[in-house]
Amino acid sequence: MFANLADKFQTIFKKIKNKGKLDENDIKNCLYEIRIALLEADVNYLVVKEFIDNLHDKLKQEKISESLSPAQQIIKMVNEDITFTLGSQKNDLIINPSAPTIIMLVGLQGTGKTTTAVKLANYFKKKGHLPLLIATDVYRPAAIEQLQISAEKINIPVFSLGKSESAVNIVKAAQKFSFQKNNDVLIIDTAGRLHIDNKLMDELQEIDENISLQEKLLIVDAMAGQDAVNSAKIFCEKIGVSGIILTKLDGDTRGGVALSLKKVLGIPIKFIGTGEKVENFEPFLPDRMASRILGMGDVLTLIEKVETAYSKEELKKLDQKMKDRNFDLNDFYLQLKKMKNIGSVDQIMEMVPGFNQFKNRVDVTKLGDREGELKKIEAIISSMTIEERENPSIINGSRRKRISRGSGTQLSDINRLLKQFNQIKYMFKKKPKIKNFSFN
Amino acid sequence: MNIKNIFMQFKEGLYKTRKEFAQKLGYLFSNSKDKPEFLDKLEELLILSDLGVSATSKIMNEFQQINFKECQENNFIFFKEKLKIILMDILNSVDSVLKIDEDRLNVIMLVGVNGSGKTSIAGKLAYRLSSIGNSLIMVPADTFRAAAIQQLSVLANKAKVEIVNTNEGADPASVVYDGISAARARGKNIVIIDTAGRLHTKVNLMHELEKIKRVIQKEAHNCSLEILQTIDATMGQNAITQANFFNNSLGVSGIALTKMDGTAKGGIVIAIRKELDIPVKLISCGEKLNNLYDFQAEKFVEALLD
Repeated sequence: MFANLADKFQTIFKKIKNKGKLDENDIKNCLYEIRIALLEADVNYLVVKEFIDNLHDKLKQEKISESLSPAQQIIKMVNEDITFTLGSQKNDLIINPSAPTIIMLVGLQGTGKTTTAVKLANYFKKKGHLPLLIATDVYRPAAIEQLQISAEKINIPVFSLGKSESAVNIVKAAQKFSFQKNNDVLIIDTAGRLHIDNKLMDELQEIDENISLQEKLLIVDAMAGQDAVNSAKIFCEKIGVSGIILTKLDGDTRGGVALSLKKVLGIPIKFIGTGEKVENFEPFLPDRMASRILGMGDVLTLIEKVETAYSKEELKKLDQKMKDRNFDLNDFYLQLKKMKNIGSVDQIMEMVPGFNQFKNRVDVTKLGDREGELKKIEAIISSMTIEERENPSIINGSRRKRISRGSGTQLSDINRLLKQFNQIKYMFKKKPKIKNFSFN
Repeated sequence: MNIKNIFMQFKEGLYKTRKEFAQKLGYLFSNSKDKPEFLDKLEELLILSDLGVSATSKIMNEFQQINFKECQENNFIFFKEKLKIILMDILNSVDSVLKIDEDRLNVIMLVGVNGSGKTSIAGKLAYRLSSIGNSLIMVPADTFRAAAIQQLSVLANKAKVEIVNTNEGADPASVVYDGISAARARGKNIVIIDTAGRLHTKVNLMHELEKIKRVIQKEAHNCSLEILQTIDATMGQNAITQANFFNNSLGVSGIALTKMDGTAKGGIVIAIRKELDIPVKLISCGEKLNNLYDFQAEKFVEALLD
């Protein structure tokens, strides 16, 4: 998608290459493309309007030099503007040092409150806290069970009084309970509700009035459309939201809602949900979100993830192997395992600009993402001789038959593995350098 | 319940949507000084309703042609009619009713992204179909999300229909296999399958759905298969991509639009219809089991512009 915007810019700038300065018409063309990009990313219409007006003034003043790429310069400017609007630093949660910190999660139905509650509890647990989850969704069938089962998997206690008590009474009782158990972070999972449902909004107000809450976090689906601003506004009016958690960012949504909410309500976005696993939960980083809204691929996040998974020496060694064409099946298996630690392979493919083309051509997404698939590959590679692993090209028909018998897999599995290995080997050879990635 | 009542309820559910849209529309037409201002406001209205850039451009193009002064004299009824015709044209669907075939087994499979309302729709659909005399069995193929099976069981109980027994972590395709066998053994005519929510970009999870579809086609090869994708009315333009992916993987036969009881305009339906050949079949507005309606394009547009 970044490619789209960059391509469009290139076309505009090709025409003006020798002018050195943008005239009104060029600016108009650029702004038009940026506007479309933002609207397609679901940034609120009124926010886009204001944003484009400001940018128009800026561009008129700015001298776009011909030595620098004008496209790069403008995208950079837009990117900075969005980043600035999204907030300049990480926003930590407010922790009460003297008494238990109480956090309430609110939001529309299906935005991911229960999932987020468990992720947040896990986040605190990892930081050495003793979190307690409080189940107050007495409306949705099996909502309490969902929280209990998910929390049990990571050994975090859930306080519940079933479905007959009011939400505020459940929280009060949980507070008492937490004093006995020394829980220092209490996370309230509330029922999903419509902002126009007065009865349910009153319920939240009641909790807010009776309990001293450190954080009131609004859970927002990153795929939300234009109306998100309206519903968030009412949650703010009724209970005063202190922060936003953006969920389901592991899809391909551009997440323009982040920009809208920050701009209209001024509330910081604190965390993002990036997958179905409990650890797929990260602090919100404005610069990365900005490039995502513009459709530029979340390069920074990937680099960081790759860096935590590989040590520098490992990368160097791997790079050398690639260069020397020594990359063999042993390495291949190791890489698959590593990639699994970083995230799913398709996640990685999505994040790197330029990789999407491979994604369509090579179905590497089938690889390594599933435990079963990985086990099969492990079995196949283990059934090979050292020589075969180092030089897969010698694996002929009779060797394949032997490996198939040894690993308990089908011949077609082995053929597929070898084909994929060759494709990956080819792909790595042609891989664009991530760190030298530039706008042009 | 007769058709008229159903439509009244449908309209009532859409009341908030309608009120806001209509208010803005009236304001839009009566307060524009000239054509550019009118077009600006029209664009604002359409984008804010999640119609998306592409559908909005199409509508804007049609309005570029009009003689503003002349139309102003005929007041805004003219605009309304014109807008209605254009929206109808985009939404135009040949056959958008959920069909139950009396001669064979009917399998309804619900798919969609996380939190879009699959389990709720499953419950509502079960209630509706069983109350008109069908014999159903529900299949909890969402064995991934904690307590999803329990949630569906509660809804099945409320709707007084049977549900297949299974456990969290079971293979969804084998649960579906069991469901179809059970439907055969117990003489059911409808099977409703609730699947786990998944983002359309998760290739492996999409393959899992394809496998489920293959099991259905193999085990009930003569069945009438309906694959419904739930789309949340509050969703933005990503819903188009979602529909595209699910459709490419499975061949989606209809869309169930959920959560229309909020203030979201549901314009995403028009955006999806503009891009894809998938009819919207059902619309859900409200949390009660009976808050499920057949989607009627004309009524939908009328309700919006009323």
